[in-house]
Amino acid sequence: MKRKSMLWLFAMILVLSAFLAACGGGGSDDASESDSGESKDGEKATEEQSGEPQQGGTLTYGLDATPEGLYNWAFYGIATDAEIIEFFDEGLIEYDENLQPIPNLAEWETEDNQHFTFKFKEGVKWHNGEELTVNDWVFALETIAHPDYDGPRYANVETIEGAPAFRAGEADSISGLKVVDDYTIEVTFDEPRLNNLTNIWSYPMSQKEFEGIEVADMSGSEQVRTKPVGLGPFKVENIVPGESIELVKNEDYWNGEVNLDKIIIRVIDNTATVGALQNGDIDMISLQPVSAPDVEKLDNVEVVTAPGLSYYYVGFKLGKFDNASKTITEELPKYQDVNLRKAMAHAINREEWIDAFFFGYGKPVNKPVPTAHWIAADDSEVNVYEYDPEKAKQLLDEAGFVDTNDDGFREDPNGEEFVVKFSHYATGNPTFESRSQAIAQYWEEVGLKSEVEMVEVNLYYDMVEKDDPSIETFFGGWGTGTDPDPSALWKADQLWNYPRYDNPEADALLEQALSVEEVGDDQEKRAQVYAEWQKKVTEDVPMIFIAELDEIMGVGEKVGGFSMDVSGYNNPAEWYLKQ
Amino acid sequence: MLKYTLRRVLGMIPMLFLVSVVVFFLAKAMPGDSLSGEIDPTNTNPEYIAEMREKLGYNDPVYVQYYRWVTDFMSGDFGKSTRYKMPVADLIGEKLPNTIFLALTSLLITYVLAFAMGMYSGRKPYTLGDNLIAGFNYAGIAIPSFVAGVFAVYFFAFKLNWFPFAGSVDIEIDKGTIEYWMSRIHHVMLPAFVLGMFSTASYTQFLRNDLIENSRKDFVRTALAKGTPMGKIYNVHILRNSIIPLVTFLGFDIAALVGGAIITEKIFTYPGIGLLFLDSVNNRDYPTVMAITMMLSAMVLIGNLIADILYGIVDPRIRLG
Repeated sequence: MKRKSMLWLFAMILVLSAFLAACGGGGSDDASESDSGESKDGEKATEEQSGEPQQGGTLTYGLDATPEGLYNWAFYGIATDAEIIEFFDEGLIEYDENLQPIPNLAEWETEDNQHFTFKFKEGVKWHNGEELTVNDWVFALETIAHPDYDGPRYANVETIEGAPAFRAGEADSISGLKVVDDYTIEVTFDEPRLNNLTNIWSYPMSQKEFEGIEVADMSGSEQVRTKPVGLGPFKVENIVPGESIELVKNEDYWNGEVNLDKIIIRVIDNTATVGALQNGDIDMISLQPVSAPDVEKLDNVEVVTAPGLSYYYVGFKLGKFDNASKTITEELPKYQDVNLRKAMAHAINREEWIDAFFFGYGKPVNKPVPTAHWIAADDSEVNVYEYDPEKAKQLLDEAGFVDTNDDGFREDPNGEEFVVKFSHYATGNPTFESRSQAIAQYWEEVGLKSEVEMVEVNLYYDMVEKDDPSIETFFGGWGTGTDPDPSALWKADQLWNYPRYDNPEADALLEQALSVEEVGDDQEKRAQVYAEWQKKVTEDVPMIFIAELDEIMGVGEKVGGFSMDVSGYNNPAEWYLKQ
Repeated sequence: MLKYTLRRVLGMIPMLFLVSVVVFFLAKAMPGDSLSGEIDPTNTNPEYIAEMREKLGYNDPVYVQYYRWVTDFMSGDFGKSTRYKMPVADLIGEKLPNTIFLALTSLLITYVLAFAMGMYSGRKPYTLGDNLIAGFNYAGIAIPSFVAGVFAVYFFAFKLNWFPFAGSVDIEIDKGTIEYWMSRIHHVMLPAFVLGMFSTASYTQFLRNDLIENSRKDFVRTALAKGTPMGKIYNVHILRNSIIPLVTFLGFDIAALVGGAIITEKIFTYPGIGLLFLDSVNNRDYPTVMAITMMLSAMVLIGNLIADILYGIVDPRIRLG
């Protein structure tokens, strides 16, 4: 009896494993059959010139992260929520493919970069039928400057004259805002700055809609969470929290006809991305580099890429920062030798690393600004550290890092054991450990003994920020917005200058780039100053710049009229479905 | 019975207090807080982060924070989620119905399948059918739910197109109509089955073994000798005895299902308590994490209580003072 049942169990296991093997095989067959329809040249990938955009239809847009449900520009916290708000609301200013501000709902004039006059378009309607006036913008600015406001946007209002006084409760209104009429407003900043315009908060909030709601209660209100109104091409019809959102065409959209009838936004788990695209359950989704190669193999989906605005780096802790006095108080000796840092930069094969861990959806970056940004210096203007292990070894020899005790690794100039400690954050992502090991491996190949430490991500950034002694070299990433000013990440008096990079000349250049007297409105001159700054930074190598990643979208073959560049994708009003 | 129940309920109070201490300090022991982690410099600045920490009271001594939390919790104020920026009670209220619906469906599937398969196997042990069922059960026990979930999505949603692959309802259908509920049932079936697979397997085996054991007891032989039909013996005499251990599982199930749904909800992007809990832990959303953990702890205690009371009802012999 017993033996018989064991036999049966064994048989069942065999059947089951055959079953699993079959499905694995099926998947790869499907995949290899076709590799047409892929395109990586970005910019205008789905722009098919044939035929007029068609009207109607429902497009399904996927999200692989759960939104928090704060559907208002002033209150949202994470990029997923912003991705949703894009569909139904827009701001006064837009950015073109060169990241220059262009008028959208309002035009502006200024002579001294301190006093601005904004003229709003007339007849633009909120989804609730109210007309957009400058009062809605004043309302948004006063909400953000309100002491009870719990979002992170005050920095975008702070520079308006009188905003600090309003926030402290000393004034009933912001003195720098002067409403001329319903469509005209004069804004005065506390001082002239070149980035006043790109920095200011440019999203109005419907005053009528939020009537009677205290600022403290706004982020939890249904006007933000379940029934948001906006000015964009689509209206929010229905929200199932954490799961899906139904958007319908805004018939009164101010900026041309909207092609689609409906957009359904669905939250999916990233394990389902490829299958859902293949089956047409979703038409579009922003892809992680790891799933992009699988999506490329599908013949009904195109992969569209555009340069992104973030970069990855390996930083060196060069000092300690005191947050109370906002100064770098102590110099850490271990990595002070610039030749050591240069050698470590030369040791890393960035191309190979990016291909291995980002599947080619990125390229090496050579400066602290993503290449697509207009202030980015040309590679010929900065010091580029190509993969060159011989040069790395030579630099190390010159710097006195030689192997004195024949253990295969170099000792420091004093003959002490030298171990590079490299820290990387850990999340659930299994590739993080191998990608940091890979970097340590490159260093070991030029004779520097290296250790990797993985730290839980929340703790990691705390430690980096507080200059914890266990952080010596560290992996990180920064994003840059449309405003080119990198001061917040680079000046010696900034908390987020993680390497504690302290070069007064570099700081002076950053100040010069923003100064109205010296640079004025001359964009070229400004870019020039930033290029000089980038050269300074690359000479000093406080960080090894590793990679900039592409933005990747999977777009179904039915979707037309979609394009994407560095400033994001085009207006969803122009998207259509081919029938 | 009543006295016993009351005593058990009173006994839960110190338990809950201890749980609250553990939950709070464990939550606080997690590295970082809701404002740490990867920083997007285009979206925030150091001043805001410092200000929010002060506002949320993260700079106060831990015992002050604990006292504040416990007193608020006692008065029914679970705090405000630091990420979702809404009261935790509302947040949980929004997700709880989904999880309960999933849990009940899963429970129903489990019991129906377990009874059908267990009865069959128990009556006809060591036959082909019994062995097939056993094979299925061992697979169910051996395959972890996250693997089963991913495969279920691949086969039943993508390949066969029988079920939707994610979500709890089709958003385009009007709320309250029959189609709406059909859509919800359609969406819940696959995750419910995956969720219930493990317990289906163990219940079936449990029931089977118990039936076999009982069928060898003296009272069965007696009944048989008296001429009672076989079917009646199984359905009335044996089943009643074998059901006892199963019924007591019900109490534990209540808590296990809600807690065990975490992985399943994630894979099926089913917006319930489990998914919320996972996100909150990742984001260090203390108020939400603590409220959900307290809720789950309370449910375990209540589940145990129900189990004990059910014992008494099903089997008068174990009725306690």
